[in-house]
Amino acid sequence: MVEEENIRVVRCGGSELNFRRAVFSADSKYIFCVSGDFVKVYSTVTEECVHILHGHRNLVTGIQLNPNNHLQLYSCSLDGTIKLWDYIDGILIKTFTVGCKLHALFTVAQAEDSVFAIVNKEKPDIFQLVSVKLPKSSSQEVEAKELSFVLDYINQSPKCIAFGNEGVYVAAVREFYLSVYFFKKKTTSRFTLSSSRNKKHAKNNFTCVACHPTEDCIASGHMDGKIRLWRNFYDDKKYTYTCLHWHHDMVMDLAFSVTGTSLLSGGRESVLVEWRDATEKNKEFLPRLGATIEHISVSPAGDLFCTSHSDNKIIIIHRNLEASAVIQGLVKDRSIFTGLMIDPRTKALVLNGKPGHLQFYSLQSDKQLYNLDIIQQEYINDYGLIQIELTKAAFGCFGNWLATVEQRQEKETELELQMKLWMYNKKTQGFILNTKINMPHEDCITALCFCNAEKSEQPTLVTASKDGYFKVWILTDDSDIYKKAVGWTCDFVGSYHKYQATNCCFSEDGSLLAVSFEEIVTIWDSITWELKCTFCQRAGKIRHLCFGRLTCSKYLLGATENGILCCWNLLSCALEWNAKLNVRVMEPDPNSENIAAISQSSVGSDLFVFKPSEPRPLYIQKGISREEVQWGVFVPRDVPESFTSEAYQWLNRSQFYFLTKSQSLLTFSTKSPEEKLTPTSKQLLAEESLPTTPFYFILGKHRQLQDEKLNETLENELVQLPLTENIPAVSELLHTPAHVLPSAAFLCSMFVNSLLLSTETKSAKEIPEDVDMEEEKESEDSDEENDFIEKVQDTNNTGLGEDIIHQLSKSEEKELRKFRKIDYSWIAAL
Amino acid sequence: MGEFKVHRVRFFNYVPSGIRCVAYNNQSNRLAVSRTDGTVEVYNLSANYFQEKFFPGHESRATEALCWAEGQRLFSAGLNGEIMEYDLQALNIKYAVDAFGGPIWSMAASPSGSQLLVGCEDGSVKLFQITPDKIQFERNFDRQKSRILSLSWHPSGTHIAAGSIDYISVFDVKSGSAIHKMIVDRQHMGVSKRKCIVWGVAFLSDGTVISVDSAGKVQFWDSATGTLVKSHLIANADVQSIAVAEQEDSFVVGTAEGTVFHFQLVPVTSNSSEKQWVRTKPFQHHTHDVRTVAHSPTALISGGTDTHLVIRPLMEKVEVKNYDAALRKITFPHRRLISCSKKRQLLLFQFAHHLELWRLGSTVATGTVEAMCLLAVSSDGNWLAASGTSAGVHVYNVKQLKLHCTVPAYNFPVTAMAIAPNTNNLVIAHSDQQVFEYSIPDKQYTDWSRTVQKQGFHHLWLQRDTPITHISFHPKRPMHILLHDAYMFCIIDKSLPLPNDKTLLYNPFPPTNESDVIRRRTAHAFKISKIYKPLLFMDLLDERTLVAVERPLDDIIAQLPPPIKKKKFGT
Repeated sequence: MVEEENIRVVRCGGSELNFRRAVFSADSKYIFCVSGDFVKVYSTVTEECVHILHGHRNLVTGIQLNPNNHLQLYSCSLDGTIKLWDYIDGILIKTFTVGCKLHALFTVAQAEDSVFAIVNKEKPDIFQLVSVKLPKSSSQEVEAKELSFVLDYINQSPKCIAFGNEGVYVAAVREFYLSVYFFKKKTTSRFTLSSSRNKKHAKNNFTCVACHPTEDCIASGHMDGKIRLWRNFYDDKKYTYTCLHWHHDMVMDLAFSVTGTSLLSGGRESVLVEWRDATEKNKEFLPRLGATIEHISVSPAGDLFCTSHSDNKIIIIHRNLEASAVIQGLVKDRSIFTGLMIDPRTKALVLNGKPGHLQFYSLQSDKQLYNLDIIQQEYINDYGLIQIELTKAAFGCFGNWLATVEQRQEKETELELQMKLWMYNKKTQGFILNTKINMPHEDCITALCFCNAEKSEQPTLVTASKDGYFKVWILTDDSDIYKKAVGWTCDFVGSYHKYQATNCCFSEDGSLLAVSFEEIVTIWDSITWELKCTFCQRAGKIRHLCFGRLTCSKYLLGATENGILCCWNLLSCALEWNAKLNVRVMEPDPNSENIAAISQSSVGSDLFVFKPSEPRPLYIQKGISREEVQWGVFVPRDVPESFTSEAYQWLNRSQFYFLTKSQSLLTFSTKSPEEKLTPTSKQLLAEESLPTTPFYFILGKHRQLQDEKLNETLENELVQLPLTENIPAVSELLHTPAHVLPSAAFLCSMFVNSLLLSTETKSAKEIPEDVDMEEEKESEDSDEENDFIEKVQDTNNTGLGEDIIHQLSKSEEKELRKFRKIDYSWIAAL
Repeated sequence: MGEFKVHRVRFFNYVPSGIRCVAYNNQSNRLAVSRTDGTVEVYNLSANYFQEKFFPGHESRATEALCWAEGQRLFSAGLNGEIMEYDLQALNIKYAVDAFGGPIWSMAASPSGSQLLVGCEDGSVKLFQITPDKIQFERNFDRQKSRILSLSWHPSGTHIAAGSIDYISVFDVKSGSAIHKMIVDRQHMGVSKRKCIVWGVAFLSDGTVISVDSAGKVQFWDSATGTLVKSHLIANADVQSIAVAEQEDSFVVGTAEGTVFHFQLVPVTSNSSEKQWVRTKPFQHHTHDVRTVAHSPTALISGGTDTHLVIRPLMEKVEVKNYDAALRKITFPHRRLISCSKKRQLLLFQFAHHLELWRLGSTVATGTVEAMCLLAVSSDGNWLAASGTSAGVHVYNVKQLKLHCTVPAYNFPVTAMAIAPNTNNLVIAHSDQQVFEYSIPDKQYTDWSRTVQKQGFHHLWLQRDTPITHISFHPKRPMHILLHDAYMFCIIDKSLPLPNDKTLLYNPFPPTNESDVIRRRTAHAFKISKIYKPLLFMDLLDERTLVAVERPLDDIIAQLPPPIKKKKFGT
C-alpha cells in the first residue's frame, strides 16, 4: 500500500549520460558517468547499470576516482557538495560541504588532501579553478571551506583544464590562449594564438586540452580541427608546437593513452582517431560511431577507452580499437516529430531516435532496447544539409504492423514523401519492411492511424494529408500464386470540399472514422466509407481529435487552435459541451475513459484529466512544467496501483508521461525518487559476487570442507528454515490453478506450517516431526549452497516460491546449533 | 603629378632557374645560392638580403654542391666532375680541378675548413687539402658500390657520414675505412620501393647521424653502434635536404612536396636532462621540390625548383620584432635585366644566355648608353659614377679621365644610381632603402638630401622587401625623381613636403575626386603606384609615355615542371 502523497512531477527517462567524461574504475570493471542528479555505475562487460549513487540535490558536474583509494569515488555537484562514495557497495561515505556551485572536479595524486574544482564566484560567467582542502574528519558531514585560488578567467567546461606531469603544472585554455600554471614556481605562462578575422586564423579557438602523462607535452584541440602539441612551454619565448590535422570540424575532446604513446581525438565526424607517437602519418581510425564524439576517456589500466556521444551513448572501446560495449540512454539529440508511442508488445516507449531511426526505450530499466532503421540511408553529418526526416509513425493491430512516414523538402515544390509499412516477424523478433509507398499523398501527411478494433478482420490504415484527401489503405493479397505475400494498397480516397485534412481517428470499435478538415469534423462509416455527418463549430482549425473510450465511446473530442475544447455526442449529433482551454496535448487513456489534456499558458503548462461524459475535470495540476509540453502518452502499468483518493484514481491503471520542448521526459509520481530506486539497487547488491581472486580459491576450499561436514551430519535430513513472511506463500497457494496443485493433504500441512512459522525466526523446534519424503529429494539440490548464514536469508526470499519445507530432527538441530555458534563473521569482514 | 601613357610590357619571357644549393657563411653572414643553370649568387643577409655578387653560369657546369671553406672561400662542384673555386673579389672563377671520380654529387668542407671532401658517381669519397691558392688531392676513402649523394663531417673532424643508395656509411677519417654501414629501409608507406636514396645526412657531435631519404623518412642513427634509434615518417614523397643549426638544437628538412619541416631538441620534462627530437612546425612556402635548405642562427633558408629563395626567421631567436624578422621571398634578381632606348623606343632584355631586342615605336634615332646597374653616366657625358661591390661610389670626370670625387662611404651596398640631366645630381639608392642625392659639381649632398636624412624616411618605405633597381628623371620636371622596385613605382617630388610617420604613405593614385584643398593638405613628396607587379623595369620614353615591364608569377609557374600532386581536402 502506497502512502498517499502529493503527486509530483518527476524526471524520468535518464538524463544525459554524456554530460561529462565517463570515468573508469582502476580495474576497468566499472565505468562511472554522471546522469542528472545521480552517478551511474555500469559494468563495462555486461553494459548493465550496477548502482545508481544518489544523494546530490542538484546536477552532478564531476566525478573522479579517489587517487588515494581507488575503490572510492569523488563527485561534485551544483548543490555545492563534494561526496565520497564506495562505488562497490553504492554507499555514501562522506559529504564535504563547500558552499558554492561546483562546476567540475579534478584530483591529483600528488596533492594528498585536496581536490581541484571549478567555481564561479562573483560574476555569473567568470570561472575560477580553486583547490579545495578536504579536512580529515571521521564524521560524515564535513565542512570544506578552505579554498585556495589557482587560476582565474577559465572556461567552464572541464575539457579546458588538464593537469600534467604528476601535478607539476595545470593547463587551461580559453578562446585563443593557453595558460600553464606551475605549482612549484607559482608562475603562469600564457601563449596566445592569432585571432585575426581573416579566413586562415578565424577558427583558431581552443576547444579542449590534454596533458601527456609522463612528458611535458600539452595537446590542445581547436575549432578548425587542428590539434597542437605544445612543448618547451616553460619558456615564454622558446615554446614550440606541432600541428596534427585530420579533423575537418572542431576537435571535441582529446585524451592521451596511459603510457602516453598515443593520443586519441574525436569530433563531429564520429570517428575516433588514434595518433600513434604523435606523428601525423601514423594514425588509426575507428569510424562510424554514430554520433558526434563529445568526450573521450581512458581507463587507468590502459586496456579500455570510452567515448561519449551526443546521442546519449557511451561506447566502450578496446585498446585495439574495437568497440566492445554500448551503453545507450534515451536519444535526445534531435527534435521529436513522431510523438510518444507505446509499442504494444514490449511496452517500450517509441520515438525518434538517431537520425532516420525509431528508438525503442524501456522506461523501467532506463535503457534503449533497440533502434529500428527506418530511412536506411547513410547519414551525412554536415551543417545545412536538408535531411530526410522521419515525421510520422503509428503501431497497429497490437504491434503487428508499424507504419512510418518520411519526408524531405528542400524547396516549396520539391517534396519527397515515402510511407513504409513494417510487419512484426516473430522469428526475428523485429519489424521487417513489407510495403514501401512512394508519394502516398501530394503533400505532407498530417496524421496517420490504424484501426485498432479487436474485431476488425482486415488491417486498415488511414492517412490524412494537406493535399485535401484522406486515404484508406488495406492489407491485401499480393500478386503471388501461393497467395502468401501480403501488401498494402489504397482502398478509398475521401475528401471534403478540398479542405486540408488535418487529423484522423478511429472510434474504439472501429466502426467510425473521424477526419477533421481544417475547422470541420467529418464522420465516416468505416465499412461503406460513407460520410455520416459533419460537425462544425467555427472555432478555428482542429488541432487534436479523439474518440472517447469504454463507457464514453459515444463522445468525440476536438481541440481547436483558438483554444476551445469541444465534445460532441455521436448519438444526437450535437455539441455536448465545450470549454475554453488552449490544448497542446490531448491523450486518451487506453485502459479507462480518462482523457488527459495539457494546456499552455504564458506561465507554464497545466494538466487536466477529465471524462468526456462530464465537463468537470477529475484532476487538475497547474504548472507541471515551465516550458511548452510537446507530446504526452499514457503507459499502461504492469501492476495496477491502488490509489484510493479520487483525484489520483486516474493514475491507477496507467501512468502519464510527457515530453517538454527541451526534451526532458517527465511523469507523475507519488513516490520520492529515492524510494523508487531502492528496491532495484538492493536487489542488484545481492547479486554482486566476490571476485575470483587467489584468496577466494583458498577460502572457497575451506568452505567446501565445511559443507562436506555439514552434509555428512545432515545426510538425508532437511534443514528447517525459519520463515518470516507467509503472505506470499498463501497467495501463491490461492493463485495457482486448482488442477496443478498437489493433493490437499500435502497442502494442508504446508499451509499450517507456514502459518505457524509466520512470526518467529528460530522456531525449528516446534515443527512437527513427520517428514515428507518427496520433498527431501528436492531439497538435496539446494544443499549445494555454501554459505550458511546467507542461506537463511536466501530461502526467505526464494524458498517460498518453490513451496519447499525443510524439517529437522532434534539431533540434527543440535548439530546445527553447534555450527551456528562457530563465528563466521570474519567471512563477512572480507 | 600628371598622367602618362603606359606601355605595359608582359612579353619579357624571363624564367629564373631553380635553386640547387644554398650555403650559409656564418662569419660574414652571407648566403651563396647556386641555380640549376650554374649561376651562383651571393646574398648579404646583413644588408637587407641584397644580392650583391653574381657569377653567371653555364648549363654544362651545373652545380650539385656548394660550400664555404677556410672562412670566405667559396667552392662548388658539379656533374662535370670538377671542383671550382670562385674569386669573390674579381667575380670570376679562379680555377677548376677535376676530381677524376665522375660526376660529383656532394661536397663538404671539414669543420676546421682546411679540407674538402667530395662524393663521386663511382662511389669514391675523395679528400682534398685546401692550400692558400689552390686545392690538392690528398687521398681516397674506401670505395663504395654506388654514388655518394650526401656527406657530413663529425664536428670533431674524426669521422664522416656518407649517404648512398640504400645505405649510409660511416668512415674514420684517419684510416679512411668504413666502420659502419647502416641499411635504410626501402619500405615506403608499406610498399617496397625499388631504391631508397639517402638525399642528406647530418653528423651531430653526440654521434647521432640524421638521414633523410626518398621514402619520406627522417631517421636518427647511433653511429657508435650503427643502429636505428628513431624514425619519423614525414612525407609521402622524397625528403631531399637537411641542415642543422650550429648549436645542434634544431634542424630543418625540405621535402619534394614543397614543405619544410622544423625539428627541435626539447627536454622531455622540465626537471630532467633528457632531451628528444620533436618535429615542430611545417612551413609550406614552396610549390615544388625543396632541393636545399640552410639553417642560419636566426632563420631557416630554403630554395628549390620553384625558383624562390625563402628566408623564414625563427621567431624565438629574434631579439627585436621588427620588419627584419618577417618572411622574405626572393624571386627576381636585384639587378636590372632590361634596358631601354628612349629615343628609338627599343627594349633590351637580358637572359641568362642571350639578349632580346624589342621595338616599341617607330621613331628613328641613335641609342643611348646605359650602364649596367652599378655604373651611371651623366647625360652631358661629363661624369661617370661607378660603384664597386664595396659600397663606395666614385665619380670620374670622363673628359679628364680622372677621379673627381668619392661619395662618403655608406654601410649598405648600392642597388641603383643615376645622374640627373641638368643639375648633375647623383641619386643613389641603397639596399636598406635609403635614397641620397649628391651634387657632383659641389661635391656634397644636396640640401634636399640632408633634409630627408634629418627627418628620416617613412617607416613603411623602409619596410619594403625589394631593392630599388632603377632610377630615372623627368626631362621637363627637374624636381621629379622616378624610381621603382619589384612591387611599386614611385615619383618623388622634391618640392612637396616629406611625409612623416603619421601620414598615409601609399596614397591613392591617381587622386580620387577629393577637393583640391584636402588633396593639397595630404599631398607629400612620394607618389607611389602599386598597380604594376611584379615590376621588373619602368622608364620614361618621353614626357608623356612610360614603359613598364612586368613578369607575372603565374607565367613563370606555368613554365616550371608540374609539382607533386597532393590530395587537398574537400576537392
